[in-house]
Amino acid sequence: MRLPHFEYVKPVTLEEGLKVLEQSSTKARILAGGTDLLVNMKYRVIRPEIVMGIKSLPELCIVSSGSNGSVTIGSCVTLTDLAKNSLIAENYPALRAAVTSVASKHIRNMGTIGGNVCLTTRCWYYNQSKLWRDGREVCHKAGGTVCHAIKGSTRCNAINNSDTIPVLIALNATMVLKKKGSERLIPSKEFFRDDGIRYTVLEPDEILTALLLPENNGNSNTTFIKVCSRKGLDFAWGSIAASVTGSNGTCNQVRLVLGSIASAPLILEKTSQVIIEGGLSEQSIEKAAETARSELGTLTNLFTSAGYKRDLAQVLVKRALGELQGQMKKKRRTKA
Amino acid sequence: MKQIITLKVNGDTHQVAVPPWHTLLEVLRDQLGLTGTKRSCGMGTCGVCTVIMDGKAILSCLTLAVECEGHEITTIEGISDEGMLNPVQKSFIENGAIQCGFCTPGIIMSAKALLDENPHPDDEQIREALSGTFCRCTGHIKTVEAVKKVSASYEKGKNDGQ
Repeated sequence: MRLPHFEYVKPVTLEEGLKVLEQSSTKARILAGGTDLLVNMKYRVIRPEIVMGIKSLPELCIVSSGSNGSVTIGSCVTLTDLAKNSLIAENYPALRAAVTSVASKHIRNMGTIGGNVCLTTRCWYYNQSKLWRDGREVCHKAGGTVCHAIKGSTRCNAINNSDTIPVLIALNATMVLKKKGSERLIPSKEFFRDDGIRYTVLEPDEILTALLLPENNGNSNTTFIKVCSRKGLDFAWGSIAASVTGSNGTCNQVRLVLGSIASAPLILEKTSQVIIEGGLSEQSIEKAAETARSELGTLTNLFTSAGYKRDLAQVLVKRALGELQGQMKKKRRTKA
Repeated sequence: MKQIITLKVNGDTHQVAVPPWHTLLEVLRDQLGLTGTKRSCGMGTCGVCTVIMDGKAILSCLTLAVECEGHEITTIEGISDEGMLNPVQKSFIENGAIQCGFCTPGIIMSAKALLDENPHPDDEQIREALSGTFCRCTGHIKTVEAVKKVSASYEKGKNDGQ
């Protein structure tokens, strides 16, 4: 499949890029690694008039640490470079695990962290060639009024398949969004919307310029698990990032985030509460995994069946918490 | 609305006029005649279009040609030395890692990028590097074997000049 025609713009500075977006935001799309956008353009599901390449803007390609121990990741840092970065490997091993789990080495060499965060939501009935889509009624995402994934649904239920998002939320990262003349900081859990069409709060005239990771002060443990049909190249059937702060079995703060299950990452608050109350004991892990099942809400049969997704959520919560339990025990032992 | 760009491919500099919607793959094959790089899915899932850009294996089907200015590109045509096959190519032939041959340039370029970066990869690293490529006839065991054999030959100091 060939690409549709478009005008290519390559800004020399970020300012210039923001100006382009200000003037033609509805017609333009941002191109970084291209592994998501160009595929969607070939399928004719995204048809921008202007494509703005930003991956060579130097300020977007840097990973740096601040004086308060926080780490800033430029949105155009490629996944390969991020995985190799020592700041990330030492302080945020779970993020590194998520980054290296994305697709294949080729795609990680090209794709960027910003692109993975803004990854378009996917659906069997939408991410297909135009010919294929024309054989069915027009769905919500294509401007119609039906949903093929959940019959009768009044909204788009496409799935957010990003692998890095759950970890970024578990780490309480902040997104830096810039537009001409202003900048806003959005906590990662508020960055995503439960809507297959407008799945992030990013406005068309904004660029996600950086991700801020708070300092790893050594009090929390984070883990990431991805389940997919094979390790290389596939999108997840489901993934989980879990973070626990505390010691000696008591947990002050617990964050459990499921990815690739729904249109937005699922932040399991009730399930986390079970651990805060009961600590990381075998019983409360079991109870938390049960709670996760009921906390999921309506699920689609996209990519895997709804029943499987529920089972998977239970298993992922159990495995992730079990792993964190092990990590904390090990820490205690080394301290003693 | 073509743009004139300068591409550095296999050490040669080419000036080509390309529309922005042409991918590197289209320019390599249709304008430069470098048809060793194959085209298949066009969606980044099969890996046959793999070329090496600045030392990294990338997919030329998902790279805009206009974004390749100032980068060093190596295709399968560029890895042989004065008519002599590259050790990776030789190893693929000797170990039967080839059948119909369509995916072979992509797999060889992926393997070459790995071996250039890490001459002694372990099994897991080889599998990881080749995971983005598909062979639908020979299978993947022999390709992994072939890469291992090249790596082993480096140890003996046979092909260090590579």
